[in-house]
Amino acid sequence: MTNIAPANPLEMLAYNLSLLIEDEQIVYVGTGLPMVGGMLAKKTHAKNITLVYESGGQDPLEGDMPWSVGCPFTYRKSPMSMEMSTSFGQCAIGYVDIAFQGGAQFDMYGNVNTSVIGSYENPKTILPGSGGGNDIGSLTEKSVLVGLQTPDRFPEKVDFLTTPGYLSGGNSRKEAGLLGGPIAVVTQVGVYDFEPESKRMRLVGLNPGMTVEIAQACTGFELLVADDLEMIAAPSEEVLTTLRTVVDPRGVFTSLPG
Amino acid sequence: MTYKYDQVDHLERLVDFRGAREYHLSKDRAKRDKRMPLKDAIAEFVQDGDILGETGFSYVRSPIQAYFEIVRQQKKNIKGIGSPMSNVSYMIARDCMDGVHLSYVGVEMRGNDKHFSRAIINKKAEIHSLWSHGSMALGFKAAQLGVPCVGSKQLLGTDMVKYNPYVKVIDNPVGKDKDPVCMIPALFPDVCIVHCQQADRYGNAVIQGPAINDIALASACRKVIITAERIVPEMTIRDNSSAAIPFWYVDAVVELPYGAYPGACPGFYFWHRQWWEFLIRIGTVTDENVMSFTEEWIMNCKDQYEWIEKAGGIRVIDHDRRLMEAAQLIADDSLTDYDYDEVIPKWD
Repeated sequence: MTNIAPANPLEMLAYNLSLLIEDEQIVYVGTGLPMVGGMLAKKTHAKNITLVYESGGQDPLEGDMPWSVGCPFTYRKSPMSMEMSTSFGQCAIGYVDIAFQGGAQFDMYGNVNTSVIGSYENPKTILPGSGGGNDIGSLTEKSVLVGLQTPDRFPEKVDFLTTPGYLSGGNSRKEAGLLGGPIAVVTQVGVYDFEPESKRMRLVGLNPGMTVEIAQACTGFELLVADDLEMIAAPSEEVLTTLRTVVDPRGVFTSLPG
Repeated sequence: MTYKYDQVDHLERLVDFRGAREYHLSKDRAKRDKRMPLKDAIAEFVQDGDILGETGFSYVRSPIQAYFEIVRQQKKNIKGIGSPMSNVSYMIARDCMDGVHLSYVGVEMRGNDKHFSRAIINKKAEIHSLWSHGSMALGFKAAQLGVPCVGSKQLLGTDMVKYNPYVKVIDNPVGKDKDPVCMIPALFPDVCIVHCQQADRYGNAVIQGPAINDIALASACRKVIITAERIVPEMTIRDNSSAAIPFWYVDAVVELPYGAYPGACPGFYFWHRQWWEFLIRIGTVTDENVMSFTEEWIMNCKDQYEWIEKAGGIRVIDHDRRLMEAAQLIADDSLTDYDYDEVIPKWD
């Protein structure tokens, strides 16, 4: 008999993000759910990770949830901060293990659009732009795509390729001269990887209550499904309590609206 | 007084290595007291048609009050560049800016800038080139290093290279691996304003917290204005050998307490978070909103002190000062509450 409410979809998302982080890694984090996932990992199974931020903050002491990646909590008593060029440079030269990024659209090869909805010449909406997204996705050894999954947000092809995933699949990413690459996509439905040969997005884990049919209904292209599809277990009460009372106590990122 | 550039076309001027060098060579070398009021610095050193490099991190140690003064002086045809560059939107709204070299405009989790999107779609402003933060940062850094270009691993394989006339993908001609690299030219905007915590009267400037692109931009730009929370004795800076920007890069020094407010300034004050949420979630939603919001908070404020008075005066700025001190563990943060009423519009 449990005494606390089960994990909501955003909490499951943050929990799954945290599980992708291994202890002692250097983790490049943005604000929002990746931040929650990173802090949850640090409070649970990966106590010795080091967090670094694109605004330049390196290895801050723990504090309140940052309001922005430029928030003083991202360089709180930092031993040093880096300039933006070198902050991304360390992803390229192999000092960052894993990074997270969001986006308006993700396609079947993990390409990300944060530039424009519609065509560039005839746009419906101009989005904020790459920011550090392209840098993280081009340079980091392992990147993780994070977002809420709907068919519109998961089209077969992104309207505009801002951040490279596996481009047109197969070896195309490597041939383009890019480093590293996305290893996973984490959504409210579950967790995906990229099939090793085709580099197509593949469902590998379902959150509690989710089904392959739901995952497909939330996707604008035909999903691959792993033979050994995992039914992801809900986090323990201890982990959920840590998430709710320590990591995001005000539910800024993990409470459902309304 | 106006300042002449060798290259009149702003698109060419941004990558005019020799032109920027010539300009720098022609600058006054004298170590003299360069202090002046903000109004005079903006009037003299920000010209119509200038390429303005955004400094800080959009709302962290950014010269927001100086940007407001640019708007109040109704400068024209300014081109924006920076990574990030979220302050361009209201300059476009107020007819000061008509073009951008885009990396990122918005307020992260707080929301996207709907006015910026409309302004581009309605051709009120033009996007001249597309960048990521890191690739643009490399362009500024190349300028600081004194190299005409660098080869990067960013931008490869993307649609951005199709809409960026400055970069070119080639096979690496010099490394062990002859694999594709994206060549990025050194970028030389015309002017930047760097807000810093300390400067001396000559322009030696101390940056506390992340420098973002500001050291590179101060090296690259033809003209540099320093706005500082405090003017300190030169010896204070010498004692710590702490200047990030040397005086000979600097054209004007403005003592401007609260110059980064309503943005945050490490060592001094936290954001006025609700102002940014109001701006992005209500202020940018319609053209009418953006005009009334900027009328209230830019056109109708004479200076930063009037701005703070309007926002709630000493209580507000003192609160944000305490939040910053606690965030940096100067004050006891276990006694500090970061809760606030987030601006969440309730549309009919």
